[in-house]
Amino acid sequence: MNLTELVTTNLIQLQLEGKTKDEIMEEMAEMIDRSGALHDKEKYKQSLYKREMEGSTGIGFGIAIPHGKSDAVKKTCVAFGVKKSGVDWDSLDGEKAQLIFMIAVPEKHAGDEHLKILQLLSRKLMDDEFREHLLHATTKEEVMQLFDQV
Amino acid sequence: MKLLAITSCPNGIAHTYMAAEKLAKAAEKMGHEMKVETQGSIGVENELTVEDIQTADGIIIAADKQVDKSRFYGKRVLEASVTDGIRKPEELIAKFERNEVPIYGKSEPDKLKTIEEVKEERTQKQNPIYRNLMNGVSYMIPFVVIGGLLIALSLAIGGEPTEKGLVIPKGSVWNHILNVGTASFTFMVPILAGFIAMSIADRPGLAPGMIGGYIAANGSFYGSEAGAGFIGGIIAGFLAGYIAKWIKSIRVPKVIQPIMPILVIPLCSSILVAAIFIFILGQPIAGMMEGLTSWLNSMQGASKIVLAIILGAMISFDMGGPVNKVAFLFGSAMIAEGNAHIMGAIAAAICIPPLGLGLATLLNKTKFTAEEREAGKAALAMGLVGITEGAIPFAARDPLRVIPSIMIGSMVGAVIAMLSGVTDHVPHGGPIVAVFQAVDNVPMFFVSIIIGMIVTALVVNVIKKPVESAE
Repeated sequence: MNLTELVTTNLIQLQLEGKTKDEIMEEMAEMIDRSGALHDKEKYKQSLYKREMEGSTGIGFGIAIPHGKSDAVKKTCVAFGVKKSGVDWDSLDGEKAQLIFMIAVPEKHAGDEHLKILQLLSRKLMDDEFREHLLHATTKEEVMQLFDQV
Repeated sequence: MKLLAITSCPNGIAHTYMAAEKLAKAAEKMGHEMKVETQGSIGVENELTVEDIQTADGIIIAADKQVDKSRFYGKRVLEASVTDGIRKPEELIAKFERNEVPIYGKSEPDKLKTIEEVKEERTQKQNPIYRNLMNGVSYMIPFVVIGGLLIALSLAIGGEPTEKGLVIPKGSVWNHILNVGTASFTFMVPILAGFIAMSIADRPGLAPGMIGGYIAANGSFYGSEAGAGFIGGIIAGFLAGYIAKWIKSIRVPKVIQPIMPILVIPLCSSILVAAIFIFILGQPIAGMMEGLTSWLNSMQGASKIVLAIILGAMISFDMGGPVNKVAFLFGSAMIAEGNAHIMGAIAAAICIPPLGLGLATLLNKTKFTAEEREAGKAALAMGLVGITEGAIPFAARDPLRVIPSIMIGSMVGAVIAMLSGVTDHVPHGGPIVAVFQAVDNVPMFFVSIIIGMIVTALVVNVIKKPVESAE
């Protein structure tokens, strides 16, 4: 099991179009829905917003990790998007988010293995160099290579 | 410094681990040791051990979720949000460096809990009555084994059959060994009661439990010929434990608090338990013995089989307790009146509980704990010399299943012995009396014992539940 099994190339968008947090939430949720990982996109989005209400997932360092756990999710997956110019995510440090990881986890997750990978990703994101490389990746293949290290 | 941390967030998917990573990295950079327990959706990982907590200089709780702090009583605990753990781990650690973190629990005396207690609580999620009983039994077992084996040994080698039972001549070395064994037996019921009470009420319960157990086991406190045996001990233990726990729960002024666990709780609980035994429970126990004795006397004319069934059941019911004593004394009295048949049946019944249970542990290991299987071997030895008490560890642990099984076995053995004209001219039981040539019709004596053993072992193994693998 590897992170690359949760993030497939069609779940990567190196140039997000959305200009606001809401637009990007919709854009990335749509990306996950298209990949067939959701039963119900709107319900999944509700779980994302519910989590944001508890505290912004913009954790600083230019990262946001909106995540939702819901029975509207078929299988665990991660979408990755880059917004070079940054988007306001109500981050705690006030910085704009540039790297967005959107995580979808089923209410009854299939196994701990997926969670383990998200855990590894979370830890890896705390590595300055890793973030730097992600931000400057120009192709999806490059990103996949970076994810392969997780 | 050695620091610990717990991270946790509502979903337990990402923040928990980011905070853990940042805290660990920051600590490394600042030259401190750091271990982080993560409480995420996967469950608890890298759990802090009791030892970790004891040796730690402080604990950071970076959580947006309730985290149980009771195990950190008396430690420096800094509470922060999980985002603080991610955003400013250095700042959190620096607070410990500057010695700005208060000790947890200092202003909350109600939450007095040691790390061991918390740990114990976690493992103690089963039925509390069973757990308390278990605690008492496991402390009692060595006393039963030591006492039983020493008494068995001294009787087998140094004993001489007389009218008063097997007697060991005064001054012989076996007499000393017998006394040591008897000393060990004396502790049996108090230890059982004491540790049941301690399991309920912690340390303040121990003394009231032991004192209560001692009173329960000594009928002279309440004008009874025999004590209330191990069943009385169990009652005393639970009484003492719950009384102590209840007194503990009473709110008292701060000045008195320090002397509560060593003075007030043990003293008041002991007095209460003693009073209950002496004035409330003692009379019925003594009365019951008298009643049973006169009832047995009135049964003399009844059918031999009925009498054997009753005696067998009584002998096994409390294994050395008051009911057992009544039956035994009745048998002894009958020898004096020239009827040794009664004692013959009793002699078989006496040894069946320990022998049958010992056999049961050999036949089916899954129904007994490792501790019980060891006790089973000692029980076999005790059974050979007629020490019914060898069965107590099993009966105390699981009375509702074990006692009926041994009663059935003893009843069967007593009936067979009675019908085949087995006699015993010495007030003592077990195969040893045959060795001392006090028994007529020795082959049938052994047949009755063996059949009783087999019945006991089969019944107990059928109705006993397998031991939980956790034990």
